[in-house]
Amino acid sequence: MLGRSTEIWIAVIFLILGVVAAALWVPFDSETPPIYTFRRQTYIGDAMLPMVAGAGIAICAATHLILSFLRRRDDQDAPFDRLTGLFFLVFLGIVAASFMLMFWSGPAALALFGPTGDEPVTYRQMRSTAPWKYVGFVIGGFVMVFGITSLIEGKFSARRALTSILAVAVLILIFDVPFDTILLPPNGDF
Amino acid sequence: MSVFEYVLAGVLAVIAGPAAFDILGIGVPITVLMVFGGFVIGIVGGATPGLAGPFLMAVSLPILLSIFGFTPDALLPVLGFLVGVMKGATVGGAVPAILFNTPGTPDAMLTTFDGYPMAKKGQAGKALRTAHFASVSGDTFSDLVLFTCAPFLAIVVEAYLGFGEKAALILLSLAFVAAVVGASPMKGMIAAFLGLFIAAIGTGEDSYSRLSFGTEALASGVPLITAVLGVLILGEVLYAFEQMWRDRRSDEVTETQQQRDQRLTWKERRKLFPFIGVSAVVGTGIGALPGIGSTLAATLGYATGERMHKGPVPFGQGTPEGVAATEAANSSVSGANLIPVLSLGIPGNVGAVFLILAAESIGGFNPGPSVFRFSTSEINPELIIAFGLFTTMMLANIMNWIIGGRIMAVVGIMARVPKQVLLPIVLLLTLTAIYVQEMNFNAFYFAFAFAILGYLMRKLRIPTLPFVIAFILAGNLEQAFRQAFAVAGGDPFFLFKSPLSLFFLLLSVAVIIFFSRPKKPAANKAIEAERDA
Repeated sequence: MLGRSTEIWIAVIFLILGVVAAALWVPFDSETPPIYTFRRQTYIGDAMLPMVAGAGIAICAATHLILSFLRRRDDQDAPFDRLTGLFFLVFLGIVAASFMLMFWSGPAALALFGPTGDEPVTYRQMRSTAPWKYVGFVIGGFVMVFGITSLIEGKFSARRALTSILAVAVLILIFDVPFDTILLPPNGDF
Repeated sequence: MSVFEYVLAGVLAVIAGPAAFDILGIGVPITVLMVFGGFVIGIVGGATPGLAGPFLMAVSLPILLSIFGFTPDALLPVLGFLVGVMKGATVGGAVPAILFNTPGTPDAMLTTFDGYPMAKKGQAGKALRTAHFASVSGDTFSDLVLFTCAPFLAIVVEAYLGFGEKAALILLSLAFVAAVVGASPMKGMIAAFLGLFIAAIGTGEDSYSRLSFGTEALASGVPLITAVLGVLILGEVLYAFEQMWRDRRSDEVTETQQQRDQRLTWKERRKLFPFIGVSAVVGTGIGALPGIGSTLAATLGYATGERMHKGPVPFGQGTPEGVAATEAANSSVSGANLIPVLSLGIPGNVGAVFLILAAESIGGFNPGPSVFRFSTSEINPELIIAFGLFTTMMLANIMNWIIGGRIMAVVGIMARVPKQVLLPIVLLLTLTAIYVQEMNFNAFYFAFAFAILGYLMRKLRIPTLPFVIAFILAGNLEQAFRQAFAVAGGDPFFLFKSPLSLFFLLLSVAVIIFFSRPKKPAANKAIEAERDA
């Protein structure tokens, strides 16, 4: 169990979420109420399951709140601190950069270095053709693996860069080389 | 078809099914090949700290679905592979525990107590052989119990339980899992209700997709595999990233000169039998209850073995009996864990979650009591698949008996793969596996949303297993509620009308109250960690 005050916060947040879900979200965002009558037959409507779930969250959270209040006070650390925020700031930055590079590198590379002629070649036409189909996955995948490894180790190293490239290459071997029907990310989106 | 013909059809579906390729004119059945592949990958993954059976099953599932498609022919190869992984990872987890004092899987924590001291005394080979022998014995015993118990339990459930009782039974199972997993039953229940709520988004019977805010993104519901992988796997990966970032350390590995004779003689094996037998019974009993982890089984097996032990080397100082007691107990959980899956359709652990996911994704096989309809007038294809699944489990056991020990001896090197290198690769691998299934970049955003949910749940010590099980069972639960309500003629007290469903509901409340009592400190840190996770 976490510290008393953290448990109280968890209970309060879920209590609010449960009440809002059961009393507001579900009734206003479902076509049929929990129980309704149609042609003299009574049915369970679409609102029943989420309303029971929302009410269940609220009831359990309220019970947890009471149990947590009854606990003795303690001085355990909170589960989140400034370091958590800092870590996720950098981590999500790396992930966002890798997603962006993964999505756009292929089309950008094709536009810059692709075949030229009278009819412009679209990325959709080339999405299953090497090397274009690998560009986004290799660059985005490398940035993700190498970036996160370096973040955790707190340093950049050539060895880890090589490992990251090898890992991406192995994934291409697993997912792409043996199958004609599978498209690596992001090629299915084009 | 008679019972025997069903069993035979299941066995033949595996060993005489479609061939992957020919060797000297003899076809190698694809299912057998997949069991073998899964088994080897399972041992390698189990021997790699940071990876475990569920990780491998999660990542392989979308790849397997892409390869085999969604036809009934895909069921046995895909399930066979996952069974192979499950069994391989169970034995593989002992390798780094013995060689490097680092458990490859959480339940191998107790194997370090005697396995590592044995390795330090130069008996690493003997410890590995002991672990293999005990593990495969326990696993085989547990599977035999599964094969005999699951059909009987399913027949009883199907014969005596109506819609209302089935709905109450699902509620009881959810309450049990929520109560026993984690430190607080109330947080477990919150997780279960949250799973039900999220599963309700975009589903239902009306033309308007409920809880979708009228958006297209939510109208088709939350993708099942993406959500489960996000919460279970990516959430764990994010949690591990943060922990490693906070705690940058590297464990020094020291080499010990090993003895020449590492054989495990027949006489030594015979001395291990009582420990293996008792631990196998303990592990099977624990495994049959949904939600209870193999770490508890290993702890109880170890404690029981310690009481039985009268040898010269005490438990904890490097005795083969200690390794055997632990490994037999944690390995015998895996087969028994499938009893609630096959007889009730309720997954009791993470491995079972992926078997159900595979079956649900492919279609044509809905694990639950209806599978075991021994109809004589017409063929029940689900029953053939069930016996095929049992055959794949036995095949994996045979492979384990024959070559498992040899593979264990060579995968020790995997323990040296640094976690900070491995887990970012696992992240990319999981995302790629999700993408090949969904073929849409939006799947990444869904996966990350659920990864953050999984991370928050771990940080706040809200167990993820009740969430996932409730998420998977939500459809069945709602269906059972609707049917029971209709059968009761719209009576709002439909759940309380039958004595059996009333009993299940009262038992659910009793379980929650019982496990809400203040807990004593756990006997060992592994149990404490599993309980708090």
